[in-house]
Amino acid sequence: MFSGYQKEAFFDEMFVDGDGVHFDHYRTLHERFKDLDAAELEEKRRLVETGFLEQGITFTVYGDDQGTERIFPFDLIPRIIPYHEWQQIEKGLTQRILALNLFLHDIYHDRNIIKDGIVPEDVVEGAAHYRPEMMGVDVPQDIYIHICGTDLIRDGDGHYLVLEDNGRCPSGVSYLLENREAMKRAFPSMYRQYGVRPVDNYPELLLKTLQSLCPRPGQTPVCALLTPGVYNSAYFEHTFLARKMGIEIVEGSDLIAIDGYVYMRTTKGLVQVDVIYRRLDDDFLDPTVFREDSVLGVPGIMDAYLRGNVALANAVGTGVADDKVIYAYVPEMIRYYLDQNPILENVPTFLAWREDDRKFILDNLEKLVVKAANESGGYGMLMGPVSTSKEREHFAAKIRSNPRNFIAQPVVSLSRHPTICDEKEIEGRHIDLRPFILYGKNIEIIPGGLTRVALRKGSLVVNSSQGGGSKDTWVLYR
Amino acid sequence: MLSRVANSLYWLSRYLERAENLARLVDVNRHDALDAGVTLKEDSESLWRPLLYATCSEEIYNEAKSAKLEDLDVGWFITFSPSNPDSICQSVAQARENARMARDQISEEMWLELNSIHLFLQSAKAERLWRRQPESLYREIIKFCLLFEGLIDATILRDEGWNFIQAGKYLERADKTTRVLDMLAFMGDPDRGKLASALRSCSGFSAFRDEFRGDFTSRNVMSFLLFSQSFPRSVRFCLRQLDRHLHAISGTPEDAYSNEAERLTGSALAQLNFSSVENVWAIGQHQYIDSMQKQFNDIGQNIFETYVLLPSEIRSVTRQEGWQLQWQQQQQQQ
Amino acid sequence: MRLRLHHRTEYRYSEPVSNNANELRLQPPTTLWQSCESSFISVLPGTRLSHYEDLNVNVVHYFEISKPHNRLVIDSRATVNTKSKVNFDRLPYGFLHRDLDCCRSMEDCHPFLQNSHHIEVTPEIWRYALDIKGDSEDVFQTSYAIMEHIFENYQYQSGATNVSTHASEVLDGKAGVCQDFAHAMVALCRSLCIPARYVSGYFFDATRGHHLRGSEASHAWVEVYIDTFGWIGLDPTNNKVVDDTYIILARGRDYRDVAPVIGAYYGAGKSAMNVSVDVQRLDG
Repeated sequence: MFSGYQKEAFFDEMFVDGDGVHFDHYRTLHERFKDLDAAELEEKRRLVETGFLEQGITFTVYGDDQGTERIFPFDLIPRIIPYHEWQQIEKGLTQRILALNLFLHDIYHDRNIIKDGIVPEDVVEGAAHYRPEMMGVDVPQDIYIHICGTDLIRDGDGHYLVLEDNGRCPSGVSYLLENREAMKRAFPSMYRQYGVRPVDNYPELLLKTLQSLCPRPGQTPVCALLTPGVYNSAYFEHTFLARKMGIEIVEGSDLIAIDGYVYMRTTKGLVQVDVIYRRLDDDFLDPTVFREDSVLGVPGIMDAYLRGNVALANAVGTGVADDKVIYAYVPEMIRYYLDQNPILENVPTFLAWREDDRKFILDNLEKLVVKAANESGGYGMLMGPVSTSKEREHFAAKIRSNPRNFIAQPVVSLSRHPTICDEKEIEGRHIDLRPFILYGKNIEIIPGGLTRVALRKGSLVVNSSQGGGSKDTWVLYR
Repeated sequence: MLSRVANSLYWLSRYLERAENLARLVDVNRHDALDAGVTLKEDSESLWRPLLYATCSEEIYNEAKSAKLEDLDVGWFITFSPSNPDSICQSVAQARENARMARDQISEEMWLELNSIHLFLQSAKAERLWRRQPESLYREIIKFCLLFEGLIDATILRDEGWNFIQAGKYLERADKTTRVLDMLAFMGDPDRGKLASALRSCSGFSAFRDEFRGDFTSRNVMSFLLFSQSFPRSVRFCLRQLDRHLHAISGTPEDAYSNEAERLTGSALAQLNFSSVENVWAIGQHQYIDSMQKQFNDIGQNIFETYVLLPSEIRSVTRQEGWQLQWQQQQQQQ
Repeated sequence: MRLRLHHRTEYRYSEPVSNNANELRLQPPTTLWQSCESSFISVLPGTRLSHYEDLNVNVVHYFEISKPHNRLVIDSRATVNTKSKVNFDRLPYGFLHRDLDCCRSMEDCHPFLQNSHHIEVTPEIWRYALDIKGDSEDVFQTSYAIMEHIFENYQYQSGATNVSTHASEVLDGKAGVCQDFAHAMVALCRSLCIPARYVSGYFFDATRGHHLRGSEASHAWVEVYIDTFGWIGLDPTNNKVVDDTYIILARGRDYRDVAPVIGAYYGAGKSAMNVSVDVQRLDG
């Protein structure tokens, strides 16, 4: 099946060179897929897909009137990461989440990093998700980002780079867990042969992380998952996680805040809630503090939170760390707070608010990727090399009028991975990796993460909303 | 259990019971239409009219028909029409929506089956099958509903949620049986064939034969569907079950009540326990059944107010505590 | 053994303090028998952290918090792979007391034969050590006997001593915690001219605190020098030859050289300290 495979000028996860020589850790997989015939492949694909559809493992696409549910496309060829490589990633992510949490604590307290001139004050306060309400607030265990999804990519030389941090409500972990189940069903013997580090304890670790935040010590904590509701694109994931953890999944209307405490409405009356894993952005959390028009939130929940009677995961105000301008300062944070060099590097980033950078960006628009600082999901982006001059003019104007909100990066040619295309051919497609980090009493990182793949030929956009799919990610025992 | 979830489970089961009863009703009625020598395509409104009456969808049907300015097939209207909120497809879709809300409370198997029947009913395949072999489609739906009931029985915990599911089922079922009875009343003096159809639409044909030795009179059929002690679709049987499940939810002993839903159910059950066909005749069939249905609506409304609405009405902790205290005291006294 | 450790030190001050300057010896080194896979030290309130290497090649992190604060938290997280240095079938017997002279001139050993802040060798200590030594000619045998003697005759009792208790006080009182036991043993060894150093670190307690002592905080033990073998660890608190369940944090002449956290601040308030240590095994 690999006979017509074109590696081209990209870093390929499987093939060392254009002559079909593959990395050692891909040998067994190569053997297995080499002689796989179309019929068998089709059979496995159908097995996996009907499984997904029947279990309702779907996501909703926004901007579609019908509220269409789709399966997140799944590719049968797993991505394999040797253990020594994973160890480096794990170390790098641990370092990063520590630094980000110290940073968030610092900017909402003493602001030493600003006073020492490492990060400018207006950059922090200008972040769209900066929450002045959190100034001087002590959050449970001093942890802000309990659940983090950090997107990694590999450049042309195969170096892992951090593309962005998702410190608000990162999603995708349910796909990771379901992908694993699907692969185990489809290729049981290859899976066993490889010796893959398991991921299925994630819900258990997540629950422990949540429980560690309980403001009532000595009590069995009452945890709940707060979802925006059935029509949220990640609703499946919310029920999936709540169910696996054995906690209630609640909507805003299921909760009520009274005199600084939060309760669930149940058939037996009100039950006090200690920890809320909220999959709802700050904006919608409390209509009395943030967006008034929010019907998803709980009036008074912020009051209870600020009084320390309920813990929220993630904390309020973590969105600052998702800002792409702040992102550019993470390596400096690591040096400052941890006295270490970053183990995982950033993608080189130009900040439009700096005059030199801005000039460079405007002069080189056709070579750069321009991103809005506060957008996610692949929205609000200009892909320089494939843009029209009209698009570039449009962006140039936007950058000039609001430089704080834009950054630019060189186009990183994401690594590619053999992927089944048009249901039979194997071709190279660009991928990234979203590992999930849990920060409670311990820092736990599930081996691997969600490998997202840009299914459109040549595309670098891996987001599910824009034609992306996913692969199972195997971190090996050795 | 979360009030919202209890509500979803309750409605999940009501909607599926509704779909099952409808499927049976339409199937039996369609069969009669064939016997009468009319086909689906022909205008058979006189034959279908009782069905529309029984499902309380006459008005919507007329509206839909006048909007369409052409013939609207009644069978299709009841089975598929998206503009009919009580059509079989819509009922299943509503059930699925409720299941989604309570996804973490139902078993994987339940979700899987419900989701696949929903996807099937939404697909062109379902309508094709219906055009070719309508009885196959209805049988498919009935089979699914029975399977689902089996899954409820076999795969979930006998906890509060289960009691809400059962409560929803029996309330809906009682309501649907009275509608069949009302249809009989509507027809005035039904012949043997109509009586048999009514029994079949409640899956009660052979059960009736066993209990009444096949003595097909209006009086016997009415007595059977209203008062039978052992037929699982008789109104009395359903109310007895509903009463049991409501008490299981609140923990109140069966001969007492702790909320309005329990009181109304107990009172309706007592009324059935202590009346006979003669009473029905004396009051008038339609009037009697109509008052029953009103009581069912009240019970449904009060279940909602007791378990779903009530906490949201509370404005302060003190009132909440007061309510709990009162509730506990009631339990202690009993 | 792959071990993950989390060492948290939290100070609460009754009144705000300022100019809180601290030195931390919390980063496990990579040695022949352990490799430090990762080590992260974080301080709250967040501030600039820096480091240097001291004379005993321990990495020292330091920071200063100038603004008034009520609370200071120091978290050290590390993942360490340990190997057992000792083959228990072939313990390093064979190095004799009469050959100890060679150690005096060795740069590695010299400082660990001298007196230090907590340890001063006196004739009484020497006589005490001679009694334990008995007629042993073998350095390892003697060291082992000293460890055993302390384990068997000293009372493990927190509160009997404090961080600044001197070795001679321990030898008198015969009670204390691991720091004191290690000081006593170092003193006894040095009095017999056995090079002995103080080691701070942690250990993984497979018995979960049922049989071994000192796993709830940072631990301390002793290393003695055996020619042709090198430094070997002995834990007088648990009567154990140090194996792969131990993680070395820092080594020095005594506690003063290796104190995990040492600092000073301006402020009249009292401080309360809370320390927790958690060592988990990651493999098998």
